[in-house]
Amino acid sequence: MNEVIRREEFGDLAVLHINTSSVDAISAAAIEMACADMRPITVLDFAEVSFINSAGISALLKFVVGARKAGFKLFAMNVSPHHQKIFKMVEMSRFMPSIEERDLTAFRS
Amino acid sequence: MDRVELSIPSQVRFERVVRASAAEIARACGFSNERVEDLKLAVSEAVTNAIEHGNRLSVEKLVDVVFMLDGETLEIRISDQGAGLERVDFSRKLVDEHNLDTGHLRGFGMYLIHALVDDCEVSSSPTGTVLTLRLYRKDIAL
Repeated sequence: MNEVIRREEFGDLAVLHINTSSVDAISAAAIEMACADMRPITVLDFAEVSFINSAGISALLKFVVGARKAGFKLFAMNVSPHHQKIFKMVEMSRFMPSIEERDLTAFRS
Repeated sequence: MDRVELSIPSQVRFERVVRASAAEIARACGFSNERVEDLKLAVSEAVTNAIEHGNRLSVEKLVDVVFMLDGETLEIRISDQGAGLERVDFSRKLVDEHNLDTGHLRGFGMYLIHALVDDCEVSSSPTGTVLTLRLYRKDIAL
């Protein structure tokens, strides 16, 4: 059981809630584990995340690589303004664009 | 001059201690929340480099961190006890198709440090590397 990631599935959609405040070298391994089982639409929820460093970015990039290989779509949700800035600086937002929670309503109903 | 010193063993988990200290010190100095977040990330990258690449995770080697507030400048000096660096690359590193396809998913740290602080410099010798970061209190009305 992965205590860092809480998973919800709605058909082709998986929402992976990151349940740690720090996406860093310590939490990276547990986060990366979840990329082994992605869905055609995978959303990473950053609502609980207050810190991401480059070790964390590397872990998140495993999802980008997995999505590209499988032809899946990957989105980020509830990304703080600071982390949006960091994602833009390294151009990660190009491969993991942000999505609003309300955009998931159709999948959840 | 106000000065705070920390020494941590070369274990990644102690990076969080330095990061938390950096945040508290920057807040106490009156920096904005955005600048505090920038500093946390820059310090995190610098300390992680010192632990992993400088001291090569050798637990008997320490990473020393000194915070100094002098007038308008908050300076953070991060020192390792490693064998020194041949070169330091602060150039912009991006996520791109080539890096993703070839599995090069790391190496953003030095670029982020350089981009997030007002000034940084590196001094390296066979007995260790010192990375100095500076934030200027230009955005604070005193």
